[in-house]
Amino acid sequence: MKIKHRVFVTATSSISCAGDNNKTLFTNVCNGNSGIKQDKNYFFEATPAIGKLRSSKTFYDELLCQCQNILNQSKLEDFHDTLLIIGSSVGGMMTTEDIFFETQNYKNINPDFHNINAIANIINKRFNFYDNISFSTACTSSANAIGYAHEVLSKGIYKNALVVGVDSLSKTTVGGFLTLGVLSSQPCKPFDVSRDGMNVSEAIACLLLESEPSKNAVEVCGVGYSSDAYHMTHPHPDGKGAVSAMSKALMSASLKSGQIDYINAHGTGTIANDNAEANAITALFPHKPYVSSTKSITGHTLGAAGALEAIISCMIIQEQKFPQNTFLNIPENMNINLPLVSLDSKIEYVLSNSFAFGGNNCSLVFGKVK
Amino acid sequence: MKINLEIIESAYVYAPNEIEELNTKELVPKMITRRRLTRAAKMAIYLADKVSFVNGRIVYGSSFGELGVTANILHSIQAQESISPTHFQNSVYNTAVSYLSMLNDNNNEIMTISSGDNTSLNILKSGAIKSLDGDTLLLLATETLNIDKIEDINSCIDVLECGVALKVRFTEEEATIDYEDISNGVKTPKSLDHMLNIAKNLHMDKSNIIEVIL
Repeated sequence: MKIKHRVFVTATSSISCAGDNNKTLFTNVCNGNSGIKQDKNYFFEATPAIGKLRSSKTFYDELLCQCQNILNQSKLEDFHDTLLIIGSSVGGMMTTEDIFFETQNYKNINPDFHNINAIANIINKRFNFYDNISFSTACTSSANAIGYAHEVLSKGIYKNALVVGVDSLSKTTVGGFLTLGVLSSQPCKPFDVSRDGMNVSEAIACLLLESEPSKNAVEVCGVGYSSDAYHMTHPHPDGKGAVSAMSKALMSASLKSGQIDYINAHGTGTIANDNAEANAITALFPHKPYVSSTKSITGHTLGAAGALEAIISCMIIQEQKFPQNTFLNIPENMNINLPLVSLDSKIEYVLSNSFAFGGNNCSLVFGKVK
Repeated sequence: MKINLEIIESAYVYAPNEIEELNTKELVPKMITRRRLTRAAKMAIYLADKVSFVNGRIVYGSSFGELGVTANILHSIQAQESISPTHFQNSVYNTAVSYLSMLNDNNNEIMTISSGDNTSLNILKSGAIKSLDGDTLLLLATETLNIDKIEDINSCIDVLECGVALKVRFTEEEATIDYEDISNGVKTPKSLDHMLNIAKNLHMDKSNIIEVIL
């Protein structure tokens, strides 16, 4: 279908272990101040390094706060014309665990606050949205949510959309990744030859997308999706799925690969992901744009990662400055351009990658409004 | 806004506890793969085969996702045992369609929606919007609620395993069917009702077109 409308990110708000607002988040990713700390409270004797919110509010009060921040920043009076799009991999699992481990049965678990839709239910209790939909594709959940917002706005179906990427930490998540042997006990070192795993984290990241730009808006230029069809947890070693998603995003944005100035990598710090992603970037971007992963600062916020890194990507364009690869010493793949310091630079287009279990891939292209 | 979808093929399956025959041995010849499949994955593979869908975009959904492996993980943590890596990798909501994509070497866009009782309605809405691009899509939904002690939280669903598939494409023709509830008193998961009612309402002798209101 022919695209009818351009789509812009007009307001953003976030909280993560790297900061309780966007400004702090961006300062920390550019200055290399990691929010990752060792924690022994999640899974028996293990002490993985993880990223927790630091807030006096409950997680769900913070969720409502972030939505309110968007409303305050925007020209909207309320959300009655807005499509709410949630991206989350665990939904209300934190609540379910609290009840189950205390009572050791399911009797007091409310199904409406257990599943992925729990997030929309909580937000809808406070705000009145036109409609809502929730995506759950593991670590691509909120990238796909942004992709869907781009699709429905560009096709002229809805007036505006609020994307909320959200995941809280739970014993299931921390224990599960420990079982897979992919958690580091230190802040992660994406793309480093001695990287030893990832850091799971929690975050809430909200973006308002509209068909009309506002001051400081950033354009969502294109979206690309693909499926590896290869393995449940391992990407294809050559990064075939990643190449496909990035190529489709470029096509969707009507851009050539040489026009991308910076890539916000998925860059988890695991052996398999970083190797495949670096191979994919090498194959598709011979002009060697700057590439960095911000997960050494924020951790991997799972279902929230796509939205949180979309906010970082927007700020890179707004501030004309891209972040460094914190903790990177010796790059494993010398064919990609991994800056060790943050740099001011002319940045027109940013590509942001998200990859997930099941081989689900989503790449987003953001651009300066012209 | 309204978008009309032509239902090209459909299939559904359900059982009070566990669906007995999903033809998994024939559809997934490799035992190493077959052993890892969740109940929802087996249902997804069965339903996709029933509607002859191999390659293309899929919009999948489930309100409760992989409830069986999620429960197993909770019990392992409670018992202070390690979590099964297979259970953890299978606990994500997109597990069923990921196995389906691997089986069919399907590299296309595959979305997973989880919108509580509105899950299948939102699959229809999302599918309708995507259908404007002109391709044929598979809309697929499953629930697998057959876990030990489910009666602690379930008092309203008779059917603990349920799945439905609709192969659809955009049409400008008038709607010929609606969402009329023909459950005949069988309490299926609400999350699947919109698609299930469409699948049950199909006419054998004429085109089946549903109007999706956004």
